[in-house]
Amino acid sequence: MRDSDVLDNNPHVSRSALEAIHGQVFGWALSRCNYEQVVAEDLVQQAYMELLTGKAQFDGRSSLKTFVFAVVQNLARSRFRRRARHLQLAQQAMPEEMVATPIEPDSNDAVWRAVQQLPPRQRDVVELVFCRDLSIEEAAKVMGVSTGTGRVHYDRAKRALRKRLRDE
Amino acid sequence: MNERDIRQALKRGQAAVEAGRVPAFDRVWSAADQRLAARRRRRYVAVGFVAALAVIAVASGLLQPRQPDWEYVDPEVFATGTSWHAPSDVLLPEHRIDIYEEIPVLIESTEIDGGTLL
Repeated sequence: MRDSDVLDNNPHVSRSALEAIHGQVFGWALSRCNYEQVVAEDLVQQAYMELLTGKAQFDGRSSLKTFVFAVVQNLARSRFRRRARHLQLAQQAMPEEMVATPIEPDSNDAVWRAVQQLPPRQRDVVELVFCRDLSIEEAAKVMGVSTGTGRVHYDRAKRALRKRLRDE
Repeated sequence: MNERDIRQALKRGQAAVEAGRVPAFDRVWSAADQRLAARRRRRYVAVGFVAALAVIAVASGLLQPRQPDWEYVDPEVFATGTSWHAPSDVLLPEHRIDIYEEIPVLIESTEIDGGTLL
């Protein structure tokens, strides 16, 4: 870590360390918001702002990647909780044909499609462990659940994936 | 399909979905920095506005003429004193104003002549 790189309000975080994981963080943000690029960019900007101001204080107890992923996850959660309330009201007043359907990632890969069909928690743990190379403990931290719960989601996801891929 | 194959297939799928979508770090970082600066500016403006309001409130309080304080009169002084202020003083436009510039002539016999009433 270069000294000049270290964030003023976050002594354990450097700009270069964030740059190194930027692609992964952005990918995680994309999957948090139905692959809407503008929303993902906004989420990552917010996460960086939290780090710059020191509101999200990294103490070095986990890896920086796990920490930033958790920040993005929390920001997305609170953002969509607010948005869901607005959306519910808007949809009540909107004709049915105008209600938008979620954006599907345009991949034809059977495994990718099978993962996208899993329940949210199982999908998250599979993405974090298989795609983002986190351990189950780290994935549980990002998701805000206990390691035991993370492990249960992971096992169920693997079973469900095997079954879906066998059926296809 | 074993776990390793699933991992690899997932990574391929993920790469396909994210390809070309990740903006440059510098762009996102400087945008975050600018948003922070803008937020700080807005906060300074708000704090300045509140401070200006406070200064105006204090200044207007200081500039207002002070009402005369009620003063405590010791009962002993009160009993031996020779002056008296009517409680209705508070109704006068000014504190202790002399409403009688001259002693009014109520009836002829009250006219003053050489210090004695006629």
